[in-house]
Amino acid sequence: MPPIRSARNRKPPPEGFDDIEDTLLEFANKMKDAENATHEGKKRYETVWPIFQITHQRSRYIYDLYYEKEAISRQLYDWLLKNGYGDANLIAKWKKQGYEKLCCLRCIQTKETNFNSTCICRVPKDTMKEQHTIECVSCGCRGCSSSD
Amino acid sequence: MATPLAPGWTEHKAPTGHSYFYNNETKKSTYTRPIAQAQAQAPPPAQFIPSYGSGQLAGGFQANQFQQNQYSGPQYQGNQFPAQFPGQPPGPQAYNNGGRGGRGGFRGGRGDSRGGHANHDRRRQEPEDKPKHRYKLPGCDPWVLVKTKLGRRFVHNTDTKESFWKFPEDVMVAVIEYDRREREKKERRERGEPSDVEDEVAVMAEEPTAVAEVEPGRAAIVPVQNNEAAEDSSEYEEIEVTDDEEEAENGEGPSKRQRTDEPDDQPVDFDEDDIAYQLQAMGEDYGLDPGEYGIDEDGTWEEGAEGLPLTEEDSKALFYDLLNDFMINPYTPWEKVVEDGYIIDDDRYLALPNMKARKDCYDEWSREKIQELRERREKEAKKDPKIPYFKLLEEYASVKLYWPEFKRKYRKEGAMRDTKVPDKEKEKLYREHVKRLQLPQNTLKSDLSTMLKAQPLSQLNRSTPIEAIPSAILTDLRYISLPPKIRDPLLEAFISTLPPPPTDGVSAEDQEAEAAKRRERRRREDALAEREARVQNDKRKQQKDLAYGRGKLREEEMELQRAMNVGKDGLRGQLMEQLGEKDERSLVID
Ligand SMILES: [Zn+2]
Ligand SMILES: [Zn+2]
Repeated sequence: MPPIRSARNRKPPPEGFDDIEDTLLEFANKMKDAENATHEGKKRYETVWPIFQITHQRSRYIYDLYYEKEAISRQLYDWLLKNGYGDANLIAKWKKQGYEKLCCLRCIQTKETNFNSTCICRVPKDTMKEQHTIECVSCGCRGCSSSD
Repeated sequence: MATPLAPGWTEHKAPTGHSYFYNNETKKSTYTRPIAQAQAQAPPPAQFIPSYGSGQLAGGFQANQFQQNQYSGPQYQGNQFPAQFPGQPPGPQAYNNGGRGGRGGFRGGRGDSRGGHANHDRRRQEPEDKPKHRYKLPGCDPWVLVKTKLGRRFVHNTDTKESFWKFPEDVMVAVIEYDRREREKKERRERGEPSDVEDEVAVMAEEPTAVAEVEPGRAAIVPVQNNEAAEDSSEYEEIEVTDDEEEAENGEGPSKRQRTDEPDDQPVDFDEDDIAYQLQAMGEDYGLDPGEYGIDEDGTWEEGAEGLPLTEEDSKALFYDLLNDFMINPYTPWEKVVEDGYIIDDDRYLALPNMKARKDCYDEWSREKIQELRERREKEAKKDPKIPYFKLLEEYASVKLYWPEFKRKYRKEGAMRDTKVPDKEKEKLYREHVKRLQLPQNTLKSDLSTMLKAQPLSQLNRSTPIEAIPSAILTDLRYISLPPKIRDPLLEAFISTLPPPPTDGVSAEDQEAEAAKRRERRRREDALAEREARVQNDKRKQQKDLAYGRGKLREEEMELQRAMNVGKDGLRGQLMEQLGEKDERSLVID
């Protein structure tokens, strides 16, 4: 959870924060909802998906604002990452070729999977034999290969 | 619902709970379940339904990567153009005025059917109409009264080629006069008086094309109005609607019906082109389809309708307009905009073909918009932060106070605490200002004058109000060196000697540009409306074709069935023959 602005942490965020505050607040609320959502009717691993998804969306939002739309200053961008609004490690991966759409960091960790390879969602769709939809176990991703 | 899906399709759930179907090969989505055998006959999806185009699947979580954040497409076929064509004159309303509420085609006016392509259902029921007769109006020369097939009337000016449902005042007088004459003629005929042949002949001479083919002795044209209502001029302000139903209700004899039925067989008897054009324009005003106002019945569009092309740029511009009109916050992520759904009911949402295009367009728009916002803010910031500090200086700076003292004394003032002007600059300004305060007043006056003269006329001119002095002056030490009591009269005097703002040339250009922008926007919107109408038209045609195709298919099936029956019997007959049965009854079966 990113820190909530309060009287205690004095230093105000860099300029431009006001513009995106509402959206960030909404992400925070969604995250709260996801964290408090009941696990009933879900498979155990499914319960963590929304958390990963919101993390992804929020990081993407910040990434786009800075890199794609040039809508926020470097200062604000750094501040946001430092304060946990975006996942700096995930964003770092997006800058690498072949990882532009990576869903989450878990999905490229080879240790955790049964086959000692990356997650199935990383496999390009056109190289898969069967055309059925896949959903990775770790974050519910349905495919995040750059070529998809 | 357990019907098997056609090959290539998979079923998915939208967050709204709807199921939709996605074809991985064609990258198409639909809400209609693609059933295996029905697929071949299914109509191609109508173009205007926002579809999950292939592109939508790109871009990580923003699209189908997760189940979230999809929105349901086809439900957004809304047809509202919020206040989009402000310039159009209102259509005639209240046709039931005067107690003649027939089932006239245009009952109900246009009301909310903005944009010309709403209310398709209503329109479909509307009968087709075309100009039928033209009558010369006595003493009202270029004007003619045109009656349509449905008995509506409008006036047409043969010189200016204008047409109006609502009669202009002077024309109305002539129409009343015309109706009066016609009524008198009718009455005379009803009384059995042959009379007035000269009169009729005279009319015929005036307008040979119109009346020539009417059989002599027949009621040629009878006024639409009821006798008692004819004097009421308000009657003429509305479109006259006549049809058989109404006639029947009126219980008036066959003499009236005569005239409604009779002329129908006659050819349209005057220069059709210009009238047709006018009628079309009016028809469009009422939101009719071309086919329905009789311009073109074989489905192809007349040239005019194709004349407004909608380029890709137009589509983008329309989408920009939409985003601007709804005052979308450009910092909002696109998914949120879609989720909120405000823009989706607007027709301009459909200007772009798919979600990918919309998202790209949104990204572009938001980037530009944010840039714009930043520039404006920078401009404001440039002039703003110093002004309060200069006010503070003007009010409290004193030769008796050193900077540290001044700073401490007024540290609680907002202008002093404001970090946008760095302390160093504050100090520098203070020292300089205090130094200037010690200069002789004449020097200060001439300094002020020099400074004022240096201002561009666009910034400072005769119409500059003293409260809205440009920030360049407000943040100049020379401005605050003199006490306001001395300075302000000088300033006012100086301003009064200045010429008026040099805006004439500029503003005319600006106005021109503004007008051009508005025209351009209007054109785009018209083009979109037309395209939508065309899509509707195509769709209707398609449905017709489909229905036809189905009928045909059914026929073929039946034929096939028959053929199979025959085959079976034939086979049985053969088998029976093979079995050596000589019974001739088996052959009779055929
Ligand atoms: Zn993935
Ligand atoms: Zn993942």
